Amino acid sequence: MIFGALMLFGISRFMFNGWVDQLYIQPTHYFTYLGFDWVKPLEGNLMYVPFVLMILSAIGIILGLFYRWSASIFFVCFTYVELLDKSNYLNHYYFVSLIAFLMIWLPANARFSLDAKFFPSLSRTAMRQWQIGILKFQLAVVYIFAGIAKVDSDWLFEAQPLKTWLQAHHNIPLIGSFLQEEWVAYAFSWTGCLYDLFIVFFLLSNRFRPTAYFFVVFFHLVTWYLFPIGVFPWVMIFSTLIFFSVSFHERILRLLSSKQLQLRSSGNPLPMPRKLVRLVLIIYVMVQILVPLRCLLYRGDLFWNEEGYRFSWRVMLMHKEGHATFYLVDKKTKRELEIQNADFLTKTQEDQMATQPDMILQYAFMLKQHYDGEVLEFGDYKFPIDDPAIRAKIYVSLNGRPSQLFVDKKHDLSKLPYNLAHRTWLEPFKK
Amino acid sequence: MRNLRRISIVLCISILGIAASCHKPGTEATPFDKASLLTNFSDNLIAPSLWMLEQTVNNMDSEFANFQANPTQANLESVRAAWKDAYLTWQTVKPFDFGPMKSYGFKAATGTYPSDTAKIEANISAGSYTLASASNIDAIGFHSLDFLLHRVNALSYFVGNANYMTYTADVIAKLKSETTTIVAAWTAYAPTFKQSTGTETTSAFSELVNEFNRDYEIVKVAKLGIPIGKQSLGIQMPEYLEARNSAISFELLRQNVLALKLYYNGNAFSTENEGVGFDDYLNHLDRKPLHETINANFDAILAKIDSFSGSMEANMSTNPQALDELYTLMQGQVISLKTDMTSAFGVLITYQDNDGD
Repeated sequence: MIFGALMLFGISRFMFNGWVDQLYIQPTHYFTYLGFDWVKPLEGNLMYVPFVLMILSAIGIILGLFYRWSASIFFVCFTYVELLDKSNYLNHYYFVSLIAFLMIWLPANARFSLDAKFFPSLSRTAMRQWQIGILKFQLAVVYIFAGIAKVDSDWLFEAQPLKTWLQAHHNIPLIGSFLQEEWVAYAFSWTGCLYDLFIVFFLLSNRFRPTAYFFVVFFHLVTWYLFPIGVFPWVMIFSTLIFFSVSFHERILRLLSSKQLQLRSSGNPLPMPRKLVRLVLIIYVMVQILVPLRCLLYRGDLFWNEEGYRFSWRVMLMHKEGHATFYLVDKKTKRELEIQNADFLTKTQEDQMATQPDMILQYAFMLKQHYDGEVLEFGDYKFPIDDPAIRAKIYVSLNGRPSQLFVDKKHDLSKLPYNLAHRTWLEPFKK
Repeated sequence: MRNLRRISIVLCISILGIAASCHKPGTEATPFDKASLLTNFSDNLIAPSLWMLEQTVNNMDSEFANFQANPTQANLESVRAAWKDAYLTWQTVKPFDFGPMKSYGFKAATGTYPSDTAKIEANISAGSYTLASASNIDAIGFHSLDFLLHRVNALSYFVGNANYMTYTADVIAKLKSETTTIVAAWTAYAPTFKQSTGTETTSAFSELVNEFNRDYEIVKVAKLGIPIGKQSLGIQMPEYLEARNSAISFELLRQNVLALKLYYNGNAFSTENEGVGFDDYLNHLDRKPLHETINANFDAILAKIDSFSGSMEANMSTNPQALDELYTLMQGQVISLKTDMTSAFGVLITYQDNDGD
């Protein structure tokens, strides 16, 4: 229910801020995910349809009406929108997708819902242990992997990127000058790391749960105040409530409702979990554990190369800024043309592309496709472009270091393979 | 509960310990305040540049009135001199495309080029036009006056065609009234500007940094790159030169780069008085080498511009190699400004609230 309300808020905010238009209608090119190239945006204003569907289904989830349908529709629409363009990738969108997926399989409509009222056969007071367990597991994965990711020399010993982000806040009244102190950045870094690593264990223990939850609220409120990360803190604050016991939730619901809730202890018997369910669960759990670990398969610096970076709960770890100049080279005449990225990409896309190797390649392919076979005319000159080379000179600054060469102009990017293998064409990272 | 308390005490002590060990004496950062930077920009850089623009545009207007009453070659020369003065002053205003300048579309209306000379001629012969319409954006502003005042035999057009005289007067009148509007609007906006020190993209500080970078890139691309063929497979495009008729392309380029250098250092344009600028912020962040690189780059670019003699168009045929070298110098500075300086400031370039995750 709370999930529904938050999503309703999140999606409405998304629409009212005009982001649908900005992110999914205005761009002429999209950066798809490897293996999901077939996911294409809808024509023009039709792009609003999935958003409206999401709002309706979020309301459905809140009321517990046609719950399973609502949850499914929400999951499909949300994931569809996320798959359109990886320039908009955020860890917390991925988290929402996963939770929405899990919600489909949970009987969250079994009590306190319109479904339970209209279709009493669905009414139930108890859930299977795995149904709560899988949500707890999902949260544990998020926190623990976020914590492990923070055990990193930049984070712990340079206090970067927090040092950069915190100093920018020196004008906040009272605490502004406090945030300037170098030790504060270190304190934030270390606390954040320890928090992420251990909070789940405290939440799991009956004894420390209330104190731990207090820390959850405090921690996420601080991040919400200081950093522009949208609804994410709220999602985490409310989803960690799942660690509390049944009686705790009932107390809260009773407080919220003027009428005394009838707590039917009877209700329908639980269906037995099927073998299939168990198998799917095991696979899901394995995937969730293995995907964030896939970066171990790659050589080189993770933040620099970004191989195995996404879907791994690496939150707030990088401050990367880049500048990319692309060149179209006519092989016959050896003449070159400097490309204006703004002609092809939106500002967001350009900024994301400049620091992310897979997007750099996708953009190079995009450019090649655009120019190959074209005849360019400048004044009295005509250049039939055939199989041009696409080169780029890219500089990137990582976590407050001076910028370094990221991609050298010597590579014809349009001839490089786009896959999950280690990318040898990136310049090595110098600490 | 006792256990938890013990844990939290240990935690606090260890954090304080780490903090203390990192807090080396002597590395005390120089105090820095974005609000003082914004105040300096508003009071000493933006407002005086705008006043200067108003003054020079008014001067151009009165010189033109004089010329209208008495259209002689000598009076035309006075109008040209006043136009050049105002156009050069415009180079010191154009990096501030935010606040009222952005909401009024002042930069586009004032500084768009190249001009569409066919459109200008069509407007003149029609004798009726709406200069404020979007389609006329490349038929107005300073650059249209480069054509109107400096084309071959300009005086004969003024004398022989009343519409020509009127059109020029209308373009100048539009510039004048809009400049007055912007000066007043800036005065009203200034207090808001000075307060807006946040990191979100809509904060004045972010806009200032972003527009500074954007202006620098426009200078590099439009004032130099496009004419010398950087976007046309090396084919030179002299028709894209700024102020081709008056042949002051180099002077405009130089003035714009100089303005950006002074603003980077927080110095006022007319007096070069030292104030709080991006340089102080970088020093505060212990990025002195970067600061020195940026100033050295600016100096190298200005020195290179000064090494040319003759117009940019002449140099395009006689000295293209040197123009290419100038372009490379300007390109290198983009990295220092856009990548290094901006990331050091922790300013968001993207428009959504999603950075860092």
